[in-house]
Amino acid sequence: MRYDSVTDVIGGTPLVRIDAAVHGLRNIDLYAKMELFNPFGSLKDRAAWNMVRDQVTAAAERGDTVVELSSGNTAKALALIAGMHGLPFRSVTNRMKVPEIKDLLLLLGARIDELPGRSECLDPADTDDPLTRMYHTVSASDGGYLHTDQYFNDLNVDAHAFGTGPEIIADLGGRVPDYFIACVGTAGSSTGVARALRTHDPAVTVVGLVAQKSDFIPGIRNIDEVHEVGLFDPGTYDTIEAVSSDEAIDGLLTLIRRCGTLAGPTGGGAYQGAVRYLRTVDATLTDRRTAVFIVCDRVESYLSYLRERRPELFRLPARAQSVHALTDDDLAAAHTIGVADAQEWIDKQTPLVVDLRSPFAYRALHIDRSINIVDDLFEEMLHGGLPFGRRQPVLLVCPVGEKSARYAALLARMGHQDVRSLAGGVIAWRDAGAALVRD
Amino acid sequence: MPFLQPRVDGELRSLLDDHAWLHRMVDALGSPVNLVLPGQAVENVRRFRASHRARHLGGHVFFAHKANRSRALIRRLAAEEAGIDVASLGELQSALAAGFAPERIMATGPKSREFLWLAARAAVLVNADSVEELTRLAGIVETHDLPRVRVMTRLSGFPSVGTTVLTRASRFGVPVTRLGPLWEALARHGDQLDFLGVAYHLDTVGLPEKVAALEGCLHAMDEAARHGLNPRAIDIGGGFGVSYLAEESQWEAWTTELTGAVLGNRPPLTWNGHGYGLRNEGGKVRGALSVYPAHRAVAGPAYLDRLLDTESMTLRRPFGTLLLESMFDLHIEPGRALLDQCGAVLTRVEEVRDDGHGETLVRVAGNSADIALEQHGVLMDPLLVARDRSAQPDPATASPVGVYLTGNLCLEADLITRRKVFLPGRPRPGDLLVFVNTAGYLMDFSAGNALMQPSARTVAAYRGHDGWQWCLDENYWPVTGREETA
Repeated sequence: MRYDSVTDVIGGTPLVRIDAAVHGLRNIDLYAKMELFNPFGSLKDRAAWNMVRDQVTAAAERGDTVVELSSGNTAKALALIAGMHGLPFRSVTNRMKVPEIKDLLLLLGARIDELPGRSECLDPADTDDPLTRMYHTVSASDGGYLHTDQYFNDLNVDAHAFGTGPEIIADLGGRVPDYFIACVGTAGSSTGVARALRTHDPAVTVVGLVAQKSDFIPGIRNIDEVHEVGLFDPGTYDTIEAVSSDEAIDGLLTLIRRCGTLAGPTGGGAYQGAVRYLRTVDATLTDRRTAVFIVCDRVESYLSYLRERRPELFRLPARAQSVHALTDDDLAAAHTIGVADAQEWIDKQTPLVVDLRSPFAYRALHIDRSINIVDDLFEEMLHGGLPFGRRQPVLLVCPVGEKSARYAALLARMGHQDVRSLAGGVIAWRDAGAALVRD
Repeated sequence: MPFLQPRVDGELRSLLDDHAWLHRMVDALGSPVNLVLPGQAVENVRRFRASHRARHLGGHVFFAHKANRSRALIRRLAAEEAGIDVASLGELQSALAAGFAPERIMATGPKSREFLWLAARAAVLVNADSVEELTRLAGIVETHDLPRVRVMTRLSGFPSVGTTVLTRASRFGVPVTRLGPLWEALARHGDQLDFLGVAYHLDTVGLPEKVAALEGCLHAMDEAARHGLNPRAIDIGGGFGVSYLAEESQWEAWTTELTGAVLGNRPPLTWNGHGYGLRNEGGKVRGALSVYPAHRAVAGPAYLDRLLDTESMTLRRPFGTLLLESMFDLHIEPGRALLDQCGAVLTRVEEVRDDGHGETLVRVAGNSADIALEQHGVLMDPLLVARDRSAQPDPATASPVGVYLTGNLCLEADLITRRKVFLPGRPRPGDLLVFVNTAGYLMDFSAGNALMQPSARTVAAYRGHDGWQWCLDENYWPVTGREETA
């Protein structure tokens, strides 16, 4: 298929049936709307393009900056679209909670402004919050900004009312699903799809999913935050339920490991929330029904989010030559040497002095003629074997003599014959009045 | 019920369980009574010291004196492994009088000439706000022929890495982008000023801003060394925070209910529908909740741990490791966090009446300057201590009552809190309302004698050989009378 622009590829995503053996519902066909297949990787491509399409040429002529309060997929899509049209993009956000997305946005050339945290000593004179001030700045009509305003912009809803929703109906052979389950972020997709479905058949049941309050699922708002969203209307939803990040990750794992779908946490939350809701319905059914949920985006951007919450998923095998694998006997056998003896040893034998501290600290002050190999790099080298001869005398130096003793023990276990750790480290060296240099 | 029940731990819990004792205090000394527990402050210092110790870090814990005026607290801390941060001439005198050795006193904040002179004369550490202040101090040292003074310099306006972290502008500190004049001044006054290192103090609970500041301080230390100075300590100020509430779920439920009340979806939870920063614009909530986050998952020493374990973006090592490797001492100045669970304000209920519009007003003998919850945006319930033990409402069976707490000033604005407070039962005149965990900033920070109402007496409670003992704050000294050696 040939296209003139990548934005022409946005939308037209497939609707894929989830195997009943996976979800276990007896009377309901469950379909996933695969929004992760959009060119920039998420459902938000539709809204982003719809919000700027008619304005981007004029904005480029004025030299405006595209700005959005987003720390996720909308920012990503807008950054790419802005780049295609030669416009700068600026993302204003409370907190970048997902490091991969932050790095990706920087890679895309976005400027990211993070709003300040709350005051520790309250200033009652501060009546206006930074977000509101920022909002006023970027919304001024001639302020040099194209503010897409995704939480209040009806074009966000329209992208789904005229795109995502009708596509679902067409793919189900002109029929509206009995149940539509969606996570609520900007409320754009759930509101738009619900509008399209209801227009066609008012009998559809719409389930909105929000995050539990103290929990964080990227792209989903919690029950308080949805009230700040201009597009959110409680009347859109027949019912609103909360999902936890734990459930979202369970759902994500099911989609990834059993359904060949590389879903992110929002898609996982939608799947898990859908199955949880539908399971109670399923028990009362005698005829067949259909249900649709949305897989918003892909998993790759959330690896650190997953690592933080499910470290066991990332278990790495222990490596052989590691300071973490030392026994108490190994440690007890490590040779240490006090400051005075070390000075004498350096004078007579000129051992190789290896300073294991960071280059920052080494650069400021170190033992004369020592070399700097920071500990994690040193450990990496040792995985491959001894980086110097067995008989080469070595003095290891760290801040207090704790790390250096572990490395001395490890080198000894690896067969090194003359390695010593500076007892008390460079701090003891300084406190004894021995010389430190700054080259 | 939208309760916001306070967390009451350890020593404070044990003391507050003795209802008869609490009533005897108020009967003898009048309402309000400030209660402080010096022993708990010592325990809190030990917890902060443990963070340093676990990372082999040197440096002191300086208690921010401004958090409480009690003499008992600082005399007790003077006897321990603690320093003190003084922000006025009066506080410096108070610290010296309490027995703090000069090397454990740090002078911070805006400083008068008199303050600078006494700081230099007593040889305390001076944390300067500006190059001008350093120059003024050097002049005082030279003119009065005083010994060389140890100084640190507060920095501000730290740039962030990667993203732009927007920070509240501070009136204090030397901008890190213009350090040239600082190095010049320190070099010029080398005979008067012994430069220890740099400092920051940020008024925020946000970790990213503190990370940017610490990062900026490390680079400034490097710059100082390149200018021939010998910097050896970083002071990261305070702001470690306290978690006031027992249950996170109550805080979440209450803030959700407040959002509902602002939107008009439920009856108001606050006096005159006050939104605490939230407002209703066309059915949408706007603004930001401007209160202290009363439940915090990470606060106090745990917050310090979190900061020290965070990895520097530019130097790719945890800050704790970088400080140790660079042989820099780490000074901290907790105020609120060091006084966690260290005190309470006892007040007597004077009157309970219905206002004719469906609300119940409870007036206590004390006012919003004595119990500064509203001024500092801290939302938590007081404990109800009935005069008669048999009338104490049993939370299991009693029905809670929502009331507004008013003070003893003849002012419409004198509400102890604008929040509707839910008590386990309807209080009666003579009962006590105990505002717990108020030692940090919420007790006597701005208390005065408005309308000639009495100021609270402060009482120090401590464990003696046969249970709890007490004395007036000014009479407390950390001696037991059993110090004789054999």
